[in-house]
Amino acid sequence: MATEAAPMDEKAKRMRDLLSSFYTPDPSISTPTSSISTSFDNINGPSFDADQYMDLMIKKSNLDVLLQRHVQMAAEIKNLDTDLQMLVYENYNKFISATDTIKRMKSNIFGMEGNMDQLLHKIMSVQSRSDGVNTSLFEKREHIEKLHRTRNLLRKVQFIYDLPARLQKCIKSEAYGDAVRFYTGAMPILKVYGDTSFKDCRRASEEAIETIIKNLQTKLFSDSESIQARAEAAVLLKQLDVPVDSLKDKLLEKLEQSLDGLQINPDEASKLAEHNVSSKDEESNNQGPAKIHEDAVRGFSEAMRAYREIFPDSEERLFKLARALTTTHFENMELYIRKRVSAADFLGIFRIIWEDVVLMDEVLPEAALSDLSAEAAQVTLKQFVARTFSHLQQDISDTLLKFDINQKEVVDGEVLKVVLEASGKAEFRQLLDENTGIFVKMNDLLIGWIQKGFQDFFRSLESHFLVLSGKTSSSNETEGLVEGKSSEKIHAGLILVLAQLSVVIEQKVIPRIAEEITASFSGGNSQAFIPGELCRVFHAASEKLLQHYIDTRTQKISNVLRKRFKTPNWVKHKEPREVHMYVDMLLQQLEEVGKEVKQILPQGTFRKHKRSDSNGSNTTTSSRSTTLHSDKMARSNSQRARSQLFETHLAKLFKQKVEIFTKVEFTQESVVTTTVKLCLKSLQEYVRLQTFNRSGFQQIQLDIQFLKAPLKETVEDEAAIDFLLDEVIVAASERCLDVTPLEPPILDKLIQAKLAKSKEHNNNNNKTTVSS
Amino acid sequence: MQGGSSGIGYGLKYQARCISDVKADTDYTSFLTGTLSLKEENEVHLLRLSSGGSELICEGLFSHPNEIWDLASCPFDQRIFSTVFSTGESFGAAIWQIPELYGQLNSPQLERVASLDAHVDSVLWWPSGRCDKLISMDEQNIFLWSLACSNKSAEVLSKDSAGMLHSLSGGAWDPHDVNAVAATGESSVQFWDLRTMKKVNSIERAHVRGVDYNPKREHILITAEDESGIHVWDLRKAKAPVQELPGHTHWTWAVKCNPEYDGLILPVGSTRQRVNLLLNSYTDYEDSVYGLAWSSREPWVFASLSYDGRVVIESVKPFLPRL
Repeated sequence: MATEAAPMDEKAKRMRDLLSSFYTPDPSISTPTSSISTSFDNINGPSFDADQYMDLMIKKSNLDVLLQRHVQMAAEIKNLDTDLQMLVYENYNKFISATDTIKRMKSNIFGMEGNMDQLLHKIMSVQSRSDGVNTSLFEKREHIEKLHRTRNLLRKVQFIYDLPARLQKCIKSEAYGDAVRFYTGAMPILKVYGDTSFKDCRRASEEAIETIIKNLQTKLFSDSESIQARAEAAVLLKQLDVPVDSLKDKLLEKLEQSLDGLQINPDEASKLAEHNVSSKDEESNNQGPAKIHEDAVRGFSEAMRAYREIFPDSEERLFKLARALTTTHFENMELYIRKRVSAADFLGIFRIIWEDVVLMDEVLPEAALSDLSAEAAQVTLKQFVARTFSHLQQDISDTLLKFDINQKEVVDGEVLKVVLEASGKAEFRQLLDENTGIFVKMNDLLIGWIQKGFQDFFRSLESHFLVLSGKTSSSNETEGLVEGKSSEKIHAGLILVLAQLSVVIEQKVIPRIAEEITASFSGGNSQAFIPGELCRVFHAASEKLLQHYIDTRTQKISNVLRKRFKTPNWVKHKEPREVHMYVDMLLQQLEEVGKEVKQILPQGTFRKHKRSDSNGSNTTTSSRSTTLHSDKMARSNSQRARSQLFETHLAKLFKQKVEIFTKVEFTQESVVTTTVKLCLKSLQEYVRLQTFNRSGFQQIQLDIQFLKAPLKETVEDEAAIDFLLDEVIVAASERCLDVTPLEPPILDKLIQAKLAKSKEHNNNNNKTTVSS
Repeated sequence: MQGGSSGIGYGLKYQARCISDVKADTDYTSFLTGTLSLKEENEVHLLRLSSGGSELICEGLFSHPNEIWDLASCPFDQRIFSTVFSTGESFGAAIWQIPELYGQLNSPQLERVASLDAHVDSVLWWPSGRCDKLISMDEQNIFLWSLACSNKSAEVLSKDSAGMLHSLSGGAWDPHDVNAVAATGESSVQFWDLRTMKKVNSIERAHVRGVDYNPKREHILITAEDESGIHVWDLRKAKAPVQELPGHTHWTWAVKCNPEYDGLILPVGSTRQRVNLLLNSYTDYEDSVYGLAWSSREPWVFASLSYDGRVVIESVKPFLPRL
């Protein structure tokens, strides 16, 4: 081996190079060692410069270090050499053993050929033997097979012959499933040979099958059977090719007919609702119509469940049925709420319907009944909300129309109204509190509707008020026509009530409703209820109505005055003997106004004495003007009218400009005062249209003088009344051909006479009323 | 008496009720007004707005024999006008002609063209132009007159009785239809066709004081009422008013449509002495305002006359752009 090792030196060298490049991933470490170990000329590392390395070593290190380095390197080189030798040895060993093995194989393979030939020969003989056996057994096997087939056939024939009996047995044991299986198994044979060899047999089995079919049908139709059994029966019937569809149709028709019984009769709905509510309270009262209804619906849905399982293809029809029931439910509901229905009743019915829907929905979830009913419920609910509002309005207007002069009722009416409002709210809250499935979904919508409902309600209430008051809106012509005709009949008091109601609504009801809405009906995304706007509307309405009331009242008085001033010829008036009738009528009308006002409107915050304090300057100026005026009257005899006119102007200049027509307020005093002022103004205008002789003027003087005391009593603003009364006298004097006022004593006498007379009249009146 | 008066004032000596625009005067904006004095000699004033529009000048002063309740200027002859007057016991009417002035101002006599010899309440000229016919009304009757200025005569062409109960008080002649006239009565506004002299229509409305046709829109009529304010009517559907406008606190005495600007309505009333326009309120009055006239020459100018004899000319020009 050592000899062989020598020639391998060259090879080893190459190997060493390869090994070094292979075993040292970092050339910077291996190269210096290898380069040092072999020769300094031979550079194995890619970037090794031995000279440089040497230079560096020499420059950097002293002699000791260099020597040390030399020793170290020599040791390393020796190590490497040993390693290499070891490697070469190992490889060589392996090579030697491989050569040995090949040598052994060559000797072993010898003699295999002969064995193989022997094997082939033996296999050939086995094959020929097997062929021989096969041919000898063939005939017998054929025979056996034939016999087997015959046996099978015979077995079938036997089966068919046994079929009727077997079927009978099945009928007896009600094993219809087996019977059908047998029959359908025999069918192909019976079909082929039924007319020939198995005639009797076929007939008998058909008869049996008919019985079976009959039995199955009864089973299918009987409600007492379990669904499972019925379903099975249906399946069997189908297997027997019985036309199941017609059966199905029949059954479904029956189901459809039963729908009628399930409907909620609108007329009886309230009873139903009542019982529903009461049965909630006491469980014992279970036999109420609600319970009956529930059972019926339960039965219906059970039937549907059964049919669905029995006839899987009937789903569509069942859906239709369920939908129809739901729809009719809601239609009936709608009919029901056409009448007046409380929220509780409404909810009662709603709950029943919802329960029905839930029952049916369990059976037929695919019918989307809950969606359908949710939609329908929305519509119904919306209608209910709308109807509730319209009923509310109806109530209010009924109450108002029943309005009587007997005004205590008016106050009651007002109370009633507030109660109505409250009840309305309660009802809606009840709706909202209801947590039946649908309602939860619709809460937001419901809130929106309620808000909008209130908004619309108040708006229409306002216009309704205006229509009721006879102050027709020109927007609706036909209505305007009708109302215009009846406007004469509208009682003035009603208008005043409406005005006051508007104030109440503006100041109390709307804020309260707004409160309620924020408390219980907020959260909807729509903010349809705008209390500010409604307040404005009612504020405007109340002012309009109040003005309308005053207008209606003054119109009446104007008519009295007009008649008074149109008929007599004032130029030829006779000497005044007494206060004229129209004064009584005027006062009577004013008294009526006062009465109405007292019963409906609140008192003003300040009373006379207080006001005269604040308006003291006015009172004084007016009294001054009165004196000035009476001075003028005294002198007017001798003075020319020209200077009189001048003086009137002068008097006006000195007078503070009395703002006669101030804004009307919602107080008794303000309304009465305004009415009186307007009447006096009318009086002045009428006077200005006439021409008077002396007596005519005196008559006016007397009438006005008489009016002074009672008017001042009723009125808030004495200064203005004084002023207006004076104006009437001035107007009369301006239109008088001969101004000669009555002497104060005569004036006094006439007035006293009138007072005495009216007193007596009153007494008489009282007496008559007492006696009657 | 209070500041802020934008109007031009003019004072009559006595109380007065009526003022009329002199429509036929195309050179100047002028008005005619007459006094209402029971005992003094009454006067007719011819007023002219100075060209700068800052002054109201008295162009003529004529004495009139009786107190004047109504006055209307002839729409085609500026020198002719009609008056309704009261003699104290009864009413009468006459057509007058203003004499040639020749620069003097010393109360010349008016020439009486014709007397409408009846118990007259109101005289109407056709507002839209030359028409030699006149309408007069008394409480129960309506008359159609033919006027001949040249030979100073007027004769009744036809008449119709409204009936005892209606007591006509005034009216308006439709500017769109020379044959249609409206009259205000006790309980209704009544319409006549002058060709047949028959009543053709009526609006049931009590206490109408003033009535005026809209000169810009046919069939539109406005009424002023005692208690219930101002209403706009479409005569084709006269059952209900088209529009309701807020009136005065007390009676609304008269209402006039602007001759040029559609929808500009001017009512006057007896309370707070104000002229109320939907655009603006004029409150600078001391007494009830009965007389009212738009100028046809300068349609933004109107004259109002309060009972104490004050003529005030106002311009609505500042408010017009808003229309």
